[in-house]
Amino acid sequence: MTSKSTPTVVIDHCSKWYGNVIGINDVSLAIDGGVTGILGPNGAGKSTLFKLLMGRLKPSGGSVRLFGIDPWESTSPYRRVGYVSETEKLYDWMTGHDFVSTLARLHGMTREEASARAEHVLEFVGLSDVQHKEIGKYSKGMRQRIKIAHALVHDPDLIILDEPLHGCDPIARTSIMSVIRDLGAQGKTVLVSSHILDEIERITEQIVILHNGRLLALGNLHAIRDLLDKHPHRILIKTEKPRELASSFIIEDPVYGVRFSGEGALEILTNDLSAAHSILPRVIVNSGVKINSIENPDDNLESLLKYLVGGDN
Amino acid sequence: MDKQGRGLSETVWTRLDRKAGAITELTVRQLRHRMSTWVVLGVGTLLILMLLAFYVDAVRDGFEPIDNDGDSEDWDGDGYPLGQERKYGTDDWDPMQYPGSGYYVRDGEVHWSDQNRTHSGNQTWIDATGIFSPIWIDEDFQYNRWDDVDFSDLDDCTQNGEFGVDWWISWGDACQQSNGDIALMSVNFRGEGTLRVLEEYYSEWGHFTDQYYVEPEPASNYIDEDDIDWDGNILSSSQGFDDDGDCLRVDWIELDFWFEEDDSNRNGIPCDVVWIIGSDGETIIDIRADENVDEDPDDEKLSGESIHRVFIIAVGKIAFIMILSIFLPLFLALGLVRDETENGTLHYLLSKPIHRGEFIVYRILGYLLIAGSFVLLMSFLMGIFTSLLGPGDSIIRFRDILIWLAIGLTTVLALTAYGAVFNTLGLVSPKYGVYIALIIGVWEFMMAVLTLIGGGSTTIQYASSLSISHWSLQLVDSLVLIIWPDTLTMHLMAEAFNLDTGLDVIWSPPAHTLETGNPYVSAIISVVILSLITTLMIFLAQSVFKRREIM
Repeated sequence: MTSKSTPTVVIDHCSKWYGNVIGINDVSLAIDGGVTGILGPNGAGKSTLFKLLMGRLKPSGGSVRLFGIDPWESTSPYRRVGYVSETEKLYDWMTGHDFVSTLARLHGMTREEASARAEHVLEFVGLSDVQHKEIGKYSKGMRQRIKIAHALVHDPDLIILDEPLHGCDPIARTSIMSVIRDLGAQGKTVLVSSHILDEIERITEQIVILHNGRLLALGNLHAIRDLLDKHPHRILIKTEKPRELASSFIIEDPVYGVRFSGEGALEILTNDLSAAHSILPRVIVNSGVKINSIENPDDNLESLLKYLVGGDN
Repeated sequence: MDKQGRGLSETVWTRLDRKAGAITELTVRQLRHRMSTWVVLGVGTLLILMLLAFYVDAVRDGFEPIDNDGDSEDWDGDGYPLGQERKYGTDDWDPMQYPGSGYYVRDGEVHWSDQNRTHSGNQTWIDATGIFSPIWIDEDFQYNRWDDVDFSDLDDCTQNGEFGVDWWISWGDACQQSNGDIALMSVNFRGEGTLRVLEEYYSEWGHFTDQYYVEPEPASNYIDEDDIDWDGNILSSSQGFDDDGDCLRVDWIELDFWFEEDDSNRNGIPCDVVWIIGSDGETIIDIRADENVDEDPDDEKLSGESIHRVFIIAVGKIAFIMILSIFLPLFLALGLVRDETENGTLHYLLSKPIHRGEFIVYRILGYLLIAGSFVLLMSFLMGIFTSLLGPGDSIIRFRDILIWLAIGLTTVLALTAYGAVFNTLGLVSPKYGVYIALIIGVWEFMMAVLTLIGGGSTTIQYASSLSISHWSLQLVDSLVLIIWPDTLTMHLMAEAFNLDTGLDVIWSPPAHTLETGNPYVSAIISVVILSLITTLMIFLAQSVFKRREIM
């Protein structure tokens, strides 16, 4: 077992090149406990990082340790790791229960143990009712969940999920998010990657931002976000009466301007997003104007990255 | 056992078993879900069933006795088979000569240099050349089939002058002179008169013995008439007897010319067979027969059995080793690990605590479970049929089942070796592996053919030993000799007595016995080499796969 001083995941000055192309560039990280979101646009190096952790790739420089062990050299850490890869392929001819229990047996479980564990995790990810259907007949969300189920079947201490929400409908998304949050609440170390800020935000506060293979930011999402909040931001409000609403907002302190960006749409310009959001409900209620939607078009990963890298990317 | 007890008994090994079981089972199920698996197994089944149908058809016809030496034929159409004519010393190319037809006995002759060149009498004249003054001529006489002078209608001699000095007639011809004398040039005839032989020519005369009737024997008397006299338990090396008398010529009548009894094996005994025994005092290692001895054995006993064995060995070698064991892995083993990598499904398996090296072994195990059980099932099927239908008195030929088991197991060994080779190829070169595998397949087939036709040639056997098929075929040869030790004797008999059973083509004594002639030695060597190839290939695949980065 790991000694208390060794974090579950330690990445030390790790680099990975594919020929001349950089996958990961001198990344150092130590992660232990709770859910950590690995955030970055496509090609940032998230999958490379995970494949290094899972011993699929050999680091070009630096080192990777899971529970203190080099995963390229030894498969022993996998006893305590569950990995959901980004691959979309599954054994479509198998039933969900078959798939999970067969893979459970690779952990050395007996057929009976594996079957019981499979049933348990399938219930946990909400696939009990379809567990005896062929995977080929599953929806996208079910397929993602069956992948998560296989990774959880041996009750791992570390769970790595590569884009688990990719391509899922909102309902599946919500259910997968709650599964991930539950895992974090159980005290497991969970790494989940995404390129959508909003998704990660709904799962965890602890994030790592990767960009072009480099570690860009690390820490609490809200702390990072606060930095961003002090930057010019837009809030897009869709309403029938944008003008009435505009007059109510323009007098408020955090708002430095309004703009009508088309039929039934009002843009509120602010330098302090949190403050603007805190006055938002009061102003809207007082104005009595009916609101269709509120959006934060600048509150996404791109804006965040743009800000973090100094606006030039 | 309670829960705790089970926990204690749970060793690393049982966990390994479970992983192996899971991957093997997954592989089997994956292969079962692939169309190509069923196509290739279906084609294999068809091939075996077709061969079985041929066999059943051949058995239904029965093992017809074969006239191995051809002496049941009546070549000249006189109603007497060659064997019977040989007994009486008559010519089987001449319908005039047949048993009981009487034979010519010479009474006198005129040599080319004799002074007295005239003879008178009532005689049979042979090679008569000169002028004959006839008193009586037998117009129906014919000495042999080539005589075509018609004495009832002779041509007139038209030339002037003296015959043999001024004019000639062609060989075997005759003409009548105006005075009634007949000019002859080497003519056979019967008649009374005086023959004046031409200077420097030869003529002879004699008489025919009486004709008597000889019952023509049926041709079947000359099929299977000279059975092999070896009793399988010999102390003396000279055995075998010229049962039908055509080597010793016991009933020979025409004794007026010299002949030697055949002793081509040079043991001083004419018309016998020398059996050369190996150092173990049991095994026959060579058979040397004098001409026309033991040449037409009982086909039910020898050829039937030989042909039955030829069928089994041929199907085992060609259908099982050369076709199934090369084609099954080509379709089933090439993508064992490669396909999983290409599909991306490998990630599920490799994120489990399993060494990549182990993974390869379990995948091959899964493939073997499908291909191997198919081959064993097919060989069992063949075993059941041939052991029930084969020649012999027993209801079931137990050794047939053993032979088929041996063929099945050898094929499994070959399947393992090819599976390991092709799987490694798929891994080392995912893109071109299939082409290299095809080239290897062709090479293996060629080497197998070479091994088959090479027979006893050491050069060819060593040249073709750079292949899996060579060692698989050698293993079959060895196991055949272990299970049916008398196959060697049959093989030698076929060679020594020119029996057309095919056994000497399809089976040869194993080549790699380290000069001991012991089939166990060659069997062990073949198994070791096949296992070595498999191990080496798996090891190669493991070291390639272990260091491979998986995207």
